[in-house]
Amino acid sequence: MKRPAFVPVVVATLLVGGCASSSSTSASASGSGSSAELIVFAASSLTSAFNQIGSDFEAANPGTTVTFNYGSSTDLATQIGSEGTADVFASASGTAMDAVAKDPGVEDRTDFATNQLVIITPSDDPAAISSLEDLAEPGVQIVLGADGVPVGDYARLMLDQDGLTTQVMLNVVSNEPDDASVVAKVKSGEADAGIVYTSDIASNTDVRGVPIPSKQNVMATYPIAAVAASANAHLASGFVDYVTGSQGEATLKQYGFGPPETG
Amino acid sequence: MRRRLPLSFVVLGSIGAAFVALPVLGLVSRAPWGRIAEILTGPGARAALRLSLEVSLLATLCSVVFGVPLAWMLARGTFRGRAVLRALVILPLVLPPVVAGVGLLQALGRRGIVGGWLERIAGIQLTFTTAGAVVAATFVSIPLVVLSAEAGFRSVDPRFERAAAVLGAKPGYTLRRVILPMVAPQLVAGAVLAWARALGEFGATITFAGNLEGRTQTVPLAVFQTLQTDQEGAIALSLVLVVLSICVLVALRDRITGTG
Repeated sequence: MKRPAFVPVVVATLLVGGCASSSSTSASASGSGSSAELIVFAASSLTSAFNQIGSDFEAANPGTTVTFNYGSSTDLATQIGSEGTADVFASASGTAMDAVAKDPGVEDRTDFATNQLVIITPSDDPAAISSLEDLAEPGVQIVLGADGVPVGDYARLMLDQDGLTTQVMLNVVSNEPDDASVVAKVKSGEADAGIVYTSDIASNTDVRGVPIPSKQNVMATYPIAAVAASANAHLASGFVDYVTGSQGEATLKQYGFGPPETG
Repeated sequence: MRRRLPLSFVVLGSIGAAFVALPVLGLVSRAPWGRIAEILTGPGARAALRLSLEVSLLATLCSVVFGVPLAWMLARGTFRGRAVLRALVILPLVLPPVVAGVGLLQALGRRGIVGGWLERIAGIQLTFTTAGAVVAATFVSIPLVVLSAEAGFRSVDPRFERAAAVLGAKPGYTLRRVILPMVAPQLVAGAVLAWARALGEFGATITFAGNLEGRTQTVPLAVFQTLQTDQEGAIALSLVLVVLSICVLVALRDRITGTG
């Protein structure tokens, strides 16, 4: 019998077919020799806002290139500790910043933004959701971030603190790898509701946001700091000042972030 | 006399071999051997293993039931557009699985072109259900059955069919009693490969069916989920898939490599 013709295809499939992994960080090393390059490690929820702030900062400081490395704050803190290439670190949690503050150390640490959770539904709101309590109604299909994914951990923390865990968890139909996937599942109408950050939907008109009152909500506070080992210390503290200044604050507001808590 | 290979080839080839072997070695060396039994018998892992077995076997069954007749059409049919159909059937093999998932959502999701209708008329929802995970796994594994079976059908001399017809056998009888037994090895090979592919499916499943323990969280999804909080647990689960994949390769070794 002749050799089956499918052999090469089969081998190729076994090689490529296994898994599609989801990657969250991407460091792009750009920067020309003559200009100064500032490397900013930032929480992935800041992506849109910081891309905007980065180009504004470049425009205000000719010859400067800002390169971003976005990812989970915890991962970024580990990378800064082991590689030490970051000039600035903007974290979605105080604990990740604490780790960097310990090693290699930080300067100008400031809380610059807050983020809260919000319920999202498809624009036609098929399950008639108007409060957190509505998520406990039988039959509502809810998607959350997975355990260990920050947005999922915050959502569970909030549900726990509001005493809704038991009922709402019965309605959870999927634990998604990140906030963007939660938005996608709700936007497409597959799920009736999801819980994400307010910043996730600021520029998203395809989903309906249902605000969660502050007393029920949890608040994520974002600290920023210049990394102590930075070779561009001056530029780094300039960037921190820009983000915490009025222009940075305005951009962050535009992308759905709240002002830092005072006092 | 043994032929000597050029040194440069030996060096490059060894790098290639090491590249493939290292991740497996990494998994084996970092595996929490002390508590591997405890991890794999934990409730989450057991649910994932049971679900993976169920989903992959059902997907294999669907792939064979629909894939073998499709292969027959491609091998023996003389209709227009056969080449296009074949390309279409192979597409899931080369498509990134996440794209397959997005496509399935548009077709069979609650608001998909067929899925919306399914839900309204029959009350059937595929997304976020075990049936949806089977659909996703079938989509990516059916090409392996079709390709393998079609190659088998093509290798059968048409004179067998003519001889059977001359002797009075109806086409259906000829197919069942003459052709299928002759291509049984290819059918089995295709089914086993489809099973292995279904077992490893991740991207289409998480995109289309979601990720929920006991319902859609198969072993690859459980690996991903566990990795968020417990790297050792993820490694233990990964090893199960590595071992199963190796078993498949060993079982099919002469079919895949062309050597004994």
